[in-house]
This record gives sequence, structure tokens and C-alpha cells, in this order.
Amino acid sequence: MSLLETKNLSYTYPDGTPAVREVDLRIETGEKIAFVGPNGSGKSTLFLLLNGTLRPSGGEVLFCGKPIRYDPRSLRETRRRVGIVFQNSDDQLFAPTVRQDVGFGPANLGLARSEVEKKVDLALEYVGIEGLKDRPPHHLSGGQKKRAAIAGVMAMDPEVMILDEPLSNLDPAGSEEVMELLEELNQRGTTIIISTHDVDLAYRWSDRVYLLADGKVADQGRPEEIFGNSRLIFGSGLRQPMIMEVYDEISKRELAPPGKKPRNVPELVGHLRPPDLRWMRVPSGTEVGETIYPGRTENGDPLLDQSGEVRVIHLQGGRAVVEPLHRPTRIGRVIVYNTDRQDDQKLDGLLEDGTIDLVGVMGTRSRAFAERHGICADIASNVIDKTILRALCGDAVLILTNGGMVEHSRRRIEDYCRQSGILIEVAVINGKALEER
Amino acid sequence: MPATLLDDYALNSPLRNKNNQLKLGLVAAALLVGVSSTSPVAPLFIALSMSLATIRFGKIPARFYGELILAPLSFALFGAAIILLFFGSGPDIFSFNLLGHQIGASAAGAELSLLVVSRTLSGMCCLFFLALTTPMVEIFAVLKGFRVPDSFVELSMMIYRYIFVFLEVAVRMRHAQAMRLGYDGFKSSINSLSILAGSLFLRTWEQGEKLYIAMDARCYDGKLSLFEENRPIKIQELLAASGYVTIIAALAYLSRGTCLF
Repeated sequence: MSLLETKNLSYTYPDGTPAVREVDLRIETGEKIAFVGPNGSGKSTLFLLLNGTLRPSGGEVLFCGKPIRYDPRSLRETRRRVGIVFQNSDDQLFAPTVRQDVGFGPANLGLARSEVEKKVDLALEYVGIEGLKDRPPHHLSGGQKKRAAIAGVMAMDPEVMILDEPLSNLDPAGSEEVMELLEELNQRGTTIIISTHDVDLAYRWSDRVYLLADGKVADQGRPEEIFGNSRLIFGSGLRQPMIMEVYDEISKRELAPPGKKPRNVPELVGHLRPPDLRWMRVPSGTEVGETIYPGRTENGDPLLDQSGEVRVIHLQGGRAVVEPLHRPTRIGRVIVYNTDRQDDQKLDGLLEDGTIDLVGVMGTRSRAFAERHGICADIASNVIDKTILRALCGDAVLILTNGGMVEHSRRRIEDYCRQSGILIEVAVINGKALEER
Repeated sequence: MPATLLDDYALNSPLRNKNNQLKLGLVAAALLVGVSSTSPVAPLFIALSMSLATIRFGKIPARFYGELILAPLSFALFGAAIILLFFGSGPDIFSFNLLGHQIGASAAGAELSLLVVSRTLSGMCCLFFLALTTPMVEIFAVLKGFRVPDSFVELSMMIYRYIFVFLEVAVRMRHAQAMRLGYDGFKSSINSLSILAGSLFLRTWEQGEKLYIAMDARCYDGKLSLFEENRPIKIQELLAASGYVTIIAALAYLSRGTCLF
């Protein structure tokens, strides 16, 4: 039996706008769940349905297998067991002092005064702001307010704690503290549900991810499954977690074994594989750190299947571990197309002859242009960086852009070439002057 | 927060942790003695001692206190000048001719104006002592202690809390308007201000709805817990307070009818 479950849950606002549509959730005790989805995908509304604040217009919410009822008595019970921490702490902290606010829930549960005080002290100590209990909330920083709000819900001992965007408006240190706190609460057995736009956080932290789009569950599953599906992720207005993106790039370069999805930096580092090291025979007198050009041995046998210089890393007898200095790479090319001056024939020619592997679109006007021409963008965000990455893997990328961004993209790619010493061919079409480099 | 408010000083004052009833009683007694005294001696003494207590024990910056007291003091002085010139009879201390009218100040007028200033000052100092050492959050507990209806106290607690929330919103809106030259000139200022007031009203309305949901989510059952801190009056404090009241009362009694002029 699941702790919290919904069946066909739907909610339509009084003005007729559907906010939540036929949502089926199944949340087990002790899970850490992240709801991700673009703005307006119905996360907050869904949360208010889960604790009975809103009444569904269709379907039902089940708590411990029983549908929740909406008479005042049952509602109180539901709300005690399913606590919500709002996105904006000021919406939640309404009492003049932190202590009064945290005591609000327990007092309304009808606990004795001494009992209330005990719960308040415990909760404040737990979130680490016991020194601020007589402060009014407007004297608290954003992170302290968030912790006070969490304490207020914690003091009611809920079984499920739902946090709507818990990290919005928090600095990195504050976010880290709040996440640690949630981890701790989870260790104590509280089921934690958060909503977030922070894909890195959702990927790293959660046991399971629900991807919401347009009031519906677009997909659910383990974070590596959900975020590994790039089509789904981009379609939902999100991006891939940074760790996953880095891993994909290095595994394409065979610096890490493919198929393993690290969830944090250490895991990523653990997957790293040293570059092509190999044993070879070296002429006598070679020293560690020396760069040699292997060519052939005295017997005339080829030493390496690849040509190029190698650096000696380790010597043992007449043999040595060497690292090739130049790895053979197939470098792709980039074509920047200025959509301001349209030359449809040229564009169609480019797209039809099949030399283009990927299309990147940058800028609102160009996006409209691409849509008019029925071109589906493979790269829609962070276009220049991703173009460089793909070009390094040997792909030919067409960037559709306009205005000053045409020159800017060319410059960025050339800067990269200058710094890295790797030459990526960049061509601008319809630019000020057709430049081939 | 753009500026530090009286309440912020009170929250940080060490005297905040003293018994509220004692503070209230002390201030009430001093206030009564001050305004009922017939000579300026006792009120001046009260003003001086209250100011010292506020600055010394309440740890309020003297500069801030000075600025604070300046505003009511200038009003009082202005009023006193008029009393000095137009009230009282008897021998003139000095007189001058203004556009053919003989204007002068008598000793009685001088006495009266000094009394007015000293009484005003003592009253102000007493109230500032209370305001700067007792934050609003303590007042709620006192109100509850005085059997003020719960709904009134709870409502004022929430109003107090949201004053600061909306103050912040209003400041942000004002900045947003000023940034786009909304306060450039009289007409646009009026226009911007009315927009600000209007959207602030809508914002309060929205906030009210959110507040209701937030309270409901935590099982609101008509109880806003109020932790009145249990702060027993120490015997030394009680003795010091009653000693002080005795001294000022005696001073007022002994100096009754004393004329300085």
C-alpha cells in the first residue's frame, strides 16, 4: 500500500482553466520525490490538492490507501500528516515572532502549552535557529526564514513534507543547508516531496522524479532515466543536469565508460578513465617526461599504430609507459547562417545535401524563422557551447541566427580555436562578407 | 529594510527582557507625576533620568535618541514661545515694540511656558523609554494579560507582521517606479503613487487569501499561540522602581509652586 496515491486526479480552476489533468501518483513511505516541470505546469496546484486545500474536480487522493475526505475533522488529520512549506516564506510566517509561528500548528492541534513549547524548541533546534526564536520574521535572512517555515511544519510531525520550490531565492550556502536539512528529515523517516526547476538538484537528490508538463505527468522514474531522455527534457522547457552533460561529453571522447550515469561529481570523477596509455619499447637513454617520436624500432617494426609524438610517463627496463600527445580527431565544421538576409535556395541546398548533422537555432527571430521553414532545432539552448562540443566530435553544425549574434558566434568559435589549438572550420552565410575560414 | 525603525531598536535593547508590567507601571507613574507637577523641577528631572536610562541601560545610540527627541521638542518650544509672549500678567521681564504694539513677556508667562516645555519633555521621554525598550511583540502579551479580546490581539499580531511584508513590497515597487522615472515631476509622482497604492491594495488582498491557505494548512482552529515570557520581577528591580517613583513624587510635592522667575 502506498503512502500517498492519486487516481485520475484532475483540477479545473473556477474560470474553467484546467490546471491538473488526470494525474496518477504513487508515493511510498520514505521516498524523496522531485517534481520538475516548467512554470505553470501545475506543480503548486497539485500540492494543494494533496493536502486537501483544494478539492479535486475529478479523481481522488488516497492517503495510506484510504481516499481523503473533506469534512473538517478529516481535513485536519490530513493536514497534520501532509505538511506543506510554501515557496514564499512570507506567505507562511504570519506570527510576530518565530516562536509563535512555529507554535501555531501544535497549538491548533490542541496540545497542552508545555507540550507545544517542547515541540517548538525541538523543531527550532533541529533546523538550527533556536537563537532567533524571539525575533520577528522580518529580521531574518531568506535562508533563516525558510528554515523557520520548515520548523513550523516539522513541529506538527507530518509523515509527508511537501516543499514548493524550497531553494528559490536562497544563496548557494543557504540552499545547501536546506537540502541537508531535508536529507536529515528523510533519514528520520519523513517522506519528502519537492518541486523545483533546478535540474541539477533534482538529479542529484531525488529517488524518483515526476516530470510535469501542462498539468499532466509527462513521465516518471529514476532521475537518470528521466533526465537521460533529452527529447523529453528539452520538450518540457528544462535542460539536462550539468553532471550528465559533462559525462556524456567525456564518454563520447572515451574518457569514461559509456552507459553509467554518475549523479554527482565524485561519481563522475570515479568513472574517469585515463587517456590512451600504452607500453612501448624505447631507445636506451630516454628519460621520464621526455617527448619522443617513436617512428620505428631498430628492427624496423612499427611501434605504434598511430603516428605522432608521445611523452614518456614511466620507465621500466627498456620499456616505458607513454601517452600520445596528439590524438587523432575528426573535427567537424560550423556554418553560421544569417536569417536576416534570407536566401532560401542556399539554405535548402545546405539542408538537402545531407552534410549537416545538426541544426542550432539562436534568437527569437531565428526561432520563428526556423518554425516557418519547418526546421527542427537539435540545439536550442546554450547554442555556441554545444556547437563547439559537437564539432569536436566530428559533426557538422548549422547555426541559424541573426543580427549581431552572427559575428558573435563566429568570434566565439574562433576564440576557442585559438585557445585550444584545434581548428574548427567556420563559415558564415549571408554575413557582411562571405567568409570562409 | 530601508531604515531602522523604533521597533528594531526595542528588539535589540537589553531592557526588552525585563518584566513588561513593571516597565509599564514605572512609565505610567512617571508620566502621571510629570504631567501633574505644578513646577518644572520634577518633570525636568524625570526627562533627564528617563533619557539617561534609555541611553545607558536600554543601549540606544545617543545620537539617534537626540534626533528622535528633537522633533517633539521643537514643537513644544514653538508653543512655549507663544505662551511666553501672549500669556500671563504682572511685571514684564522684557518687552519690545512691534509695529506699534507693545509685546512683552511677564514672569508668569515665562513660568508657564517653562512648565509646558518641561511637562511635554518628561512625557515624551517616558514614552520613548517604553517604545525603545518594549517591542510590539511584547505589547501583544501585555494586551492579552489585560484581557483584551483574543480576536483583537490576534488580528493586531497579524497586522503587525504584515506591515513589514508590505513595507518591503511598497519599497520595491517604489524603486521600480523611480528607476523608470516615475517620480520625475509632480504629475507623474501623483500618478505613480496612486498606481502604487492601488497595486498594494490588490497585493494585500492576494496575501490575505494566501494567509488563509497557510493557516488552514497548519490546522487553524482559532488559536494563535502567544508565548508570554515568564519574567519574574526581581526584588532589586522592584525596589529600584518604587524608589524612583517615590523620589519623583517627593520632588514634585516638595517643589510644588516653586517659581524659577
